[in-house]
Amino acid sequence: MSDPLIELKHVERVYPLAKQQFFYVLRDINLKVEEGDFVSVMGPSGAGKSTLLHLLGMHDFGWTGEYFLSDAAIHQLKPKERTSLRNEQIGFVFQNYNLLDDLTVYENLDIPLSYRRYSKSERTSLVADTLDRFSIVGKKDLYPRQLSGGQQQLVSIARAIIAKPKLILADEPTGNLHSSQADDIMQLFKKLNGEGITIIQVTHSEINAAHGNRVIQLRDGWIVK
Amino acid sequence: MLNDLRLAFRSLVKTPGFTLVATITVALAIGANTAVFSLVNALLVRPLPYQAPNELVLLWEKFCGQGLDVIPVSAPEYLDYEKQTSSFTGIAAFDYADLNLTGGEIAERIQGAVVSPSLFTVLGIQPIRGRVFSPNEFGEGNDGVIVMSERLWQRRFNSDPQILGKAVALNGRNFTVVGIMPARFEFPIPLFNIQGGNFAGQVDIWKPIAFTKNDLESRGSRSYGVIARLKPGVTMQQAQAEIDAINAGWITKFPDNYSPQTRFGASLYSLHEQVIGGMRTALWILLGAVALVLLIACANLTTMLLARAGGREREFAIRVALGASRMRLLRQMLSESVLLAIVGGAAGTLLAVWGLDLLRTLGAHTVPRIAGANLDIRVLLVMLVVSVGTGILFGLVPALASGNPELTEALKEGGRGATSGVRRNRIRNALVVAEVALALVLLISAGLLMKSFVRLQQVYPGFNPRNVLTMELSLPQLKYPRGKPVIDFYAEVERRVARIPGVQHVALTSIIPLSGSNSDSSFHIEGRPEKQTNVFPDEEIRIISPDYFRVLETPLIKGRYFTEADNADAPGVVIINQAMAKKYWPGEDAVGKRINFNDEDPKKIAWFTVVGIVGDIRHRGLDAQAKPEYYLTHPQRPFRGMILAVRSLQDPRALVSSIRGELQAFDPEQPLANIKTLEQVTAESIAPRRLSTVLLGLFALVALVLASVGIYGVMSFLVTQRTHEIGVRMALGAQRADVLRLVISQAGLLIGAGTVIGLLAALLSTSVLRSALYDVSRLDLSTFVLVTFALALVALIASYVPARRATRADPMIALGRG
Repeated sequence: MSDPLIELKHVERVYPLAKQQFFYVLRDINLKVEEGDFVSVMGPSGAGKSTLLHLLGMHDFGWTGEYFLSDAAIHQLKPKERTSLRNEQIGFVFQNYNLLDDLTVYENLDIPLSYRRYSKSERTSLVADTLDRFSIVGKKDLYPRQLSGGQQQLVSIARAIIAKPKLILADEPTGNLHSSQADDIMQLFKKLNGEGITIIQVTHSEINAAHGNRVIQLRDGWIVK
Repeated sequence: MLNDLRLAFRSLVKTPGFTLVATITVALAIGANTAVFSLVNALLVRPLPYQAPNELVLLWEKFCGQGLDVIPVSAPEYLDYEKQTSSFTGIAAFDYADLNLTGGEIAERIQGAVVSPSLFTVLGIQPIRGRVFSPNEFGEGNDGVIVMSERLWQRRFNSDPQILGKAVALNGRNFTVVGIMPARFEFPIPLFNIQGGNFAGQVDIWKPIAFTKNDLESRGSRSYGVIARLKPGVTMQQAQAEIDAINAGWITKFPDNYSPQTRFGASLYSLHEQVIGGMRTALWILLGAVALVLLIACANLTTMLLARAGGREREFAIRVALGASRMRLLRQMLSESVLLAIVGGAAGTLLAVWGLDLLRTLGAHTVPRIAGANLDIRVLLVMLVVSVGTGILFGLVPALASGNPELTEALKEGGRGATSGVRRNRIRNALVVAEVALALVLLISAGLLMKSFVRLQQVYPGFNPRNVLTMELSLPQLKYPRGKPVIDFYAEVERRVARIPGVQHVALTSIIPLSGSNSDSSFHIEGRPEKQTNVFPDEEIRIISPDYFRVLETPLIKGRYFTEADNADAPGVVIINQAMAKKYWPGEDAVGKRINFNDEDPKKIAWFTVVGIVGDIRHRGLDAQAKPEYYLTHPQRPFRGMILAVRSLQDPRALVSSIRGELQAFDPEQPLANIKTLEQVTAESIAPRRLSTVLLGLFALVALVLASVGIYGVMSFLVTQRTHEIGVRMALGAQRADVLRLVISQAGLLIGAGTVIGLLAALLSTSVLRSALYDVSRLDLSTFVLVTFALALVALIASYVPARRATRADPMIALGRG
């Protein structure tokens, strides 16, 4: 059996409180995610779902334990190396889309590529392919505010995969969408997963979780299932 | 990079209010800096318009024993220097000369210069047409040629291509034009060595010096400036040593002329230093002031950008999540600030064009080389660098503060970056404190200069400048040789002008007070032992007509004024001022004492009796104590170049055409020159101070406005940030007054801290103003208190507006936002 894409060993995230007390957001997390998995992280508010996602996405460095991503020991990497690995392997999808308001759809798709030092011609070609693939060519010159929520999330997903990541981390990707739009997005995720992209999503929705092949339940910072 | 600039441009266009305020802020600061740097460039940096100007030196003599430090040289001395020095590739003598140009429709006074033929070679300037003087065109009888300026050639002779070889009538004598000098050529150049100096206009005609027999025999008659070019490899010190040796030789050879007690010598000065040396301190003060304005603007813009960055935290977090490196974010932020600075800088440069026009007008006639203060490529390049540097400076702190956003919080729905918000608030508060401190330093400096200027304007100069008109007349030697013709001419002028309706008194004087011109002469006091030591007293001398003190309304302290009876045949009379009476006859009655000038030939001794003592006149400047002065009456010492002074019952400028008419009626070839009211002369004498004061005042005002805008901006931002807290407080029962107190006290704390730091900084920094202040201590308590109070008041008003807005917060809405 090959190595997992992600492996967490005894990972903890603690916030110090006053008088030498501590607040544990994540406790002794041990987790393996295989390449091609579609994992849904569930649990009540405050369980540590988003914290886990940001930890996996290397937005947060204040944790302890061991984290391996594609054989790289993240816990031993310097911040610059982590950033480089993140840019190489991870794409993000957020509940509130987090598109850049001042940029057009085209520019929003272009921006991750520009940060990864793709050449101009490569960027043009990749953006054109992605617009075509997501059927949003007609919207390329529109600004986010001119799109519906579903369309914005579509662009957000397109932006997440444009740099060809191995892993998509999605934080409640359908939280702001109505059910039909949410279903479209989940279908898209399923399709992307089918193409080999590993997906980890945080969700409150059992229906959305059903689109994945595995569910992790968090409660008070512990993995309970 | 281009993409960053494109995005920065779009981002700025999207927030026009912010962009406008930021652009105006940069424009004001860069405009002030550009204008002052243009001055510095023109005066301190740009080389003088001669070949290798750093090799040029001026030579001035001194008689330290008599308190004479910078005086011209005589004809024999110049010729000796020419023969005996080997440190120079060339040496030349020069003097200003008033020339009456006739032969056209109207007679015109032209500013001219008499020069030795070597001058043009020494300066390394070629004529654009014709030639300069040949070595033999020098001395009496060989001086019938002139070189004229391109300006005069174009203006008066319509650029006549046949001008060379033609005769031009000057002072009643014909001179042949042999060359035209380029318009950029200017010599003699005004020297900034007289406080409140009023410079002669640009020279338009140069003629060879014609030393007379009398000139060549008199080592003591000094009126020529000397300029020389150092030989390559010869230092100023080496040349000075050679001059010292030559002077030592003279002291031995001519003991009567250079007695040891006079401590005679000569000093070499760099030409550049002599031209701009006196302006250096004022320029550095102004440069310091605009640098402070720039710092205040930077602090302001930093606080504005910090507030803006606070609102863009989510955007930066998204960018980082999408792969943006810290450097990339920094670059994006800096692109915006640099773009702002460049746009503001361009607007500031336009402001500077207007400002420079104003500066040239204010400084004309009183600040040397100010006419050349313009935006050349050097100024523009420096300002581009300063603008970009400014952009980086004010953009760096917000960029650094935003370059590492708190991703986990910022990317959440409605999340806020609490940590960086606190950091940003601290930076913002520190910047407001700095702004207040810097503005206070500038305001106190401006306040001190203003108080000093007001004091100076209140100084009683020893005369009443109101309703007095002055104008210069210069009689040509050919038509009016020494003696009676000159006396008769001026008597007729006085007689004719006196009968013009509205004229109260008419008088003549060789020099008017505060004009920058001066003349001194040594004398011998009857019964004093100077003859043994050969150290004669030397004081300032004026030739006047009887009504001079009535025109000036200078009080008679003792004795009498001159009268018509004090004519050429009457016994010699002299009037002295109080300073002279006190210096030479302390505790005695000076009236009745006698002095003479002709000490060399005992048979020719002519005694002048002191007949009156008048009040002191501040001649060298309103800020300079009156020096001893003595006055001789014109008929007893006739002068060809005199100034007509007329006291009128109304605005004296209305008399100009009548006076000109009277003059034209009996000698149409005599032009009137430099027509000015005495009030104008007085005002021009303090023009450099006025210029510094106006500019510093203006910059202080800009600083005050910028600091107020900064305080307003920060307090507005803090109020917005605390809306939720204020809503909670109001919901808990806080009254409007409580909220007002809460906000104002926060502002008061910042203003108070800034004020304390500013006061400490002002205590230290105002020492640079010491030389520029008159009758005001650099630690003047009332200025410090008044300015501090005014700044604190303005700052509190600036914070009151947002505080008032906070009191109108609706608790329901405020709490709803939380």
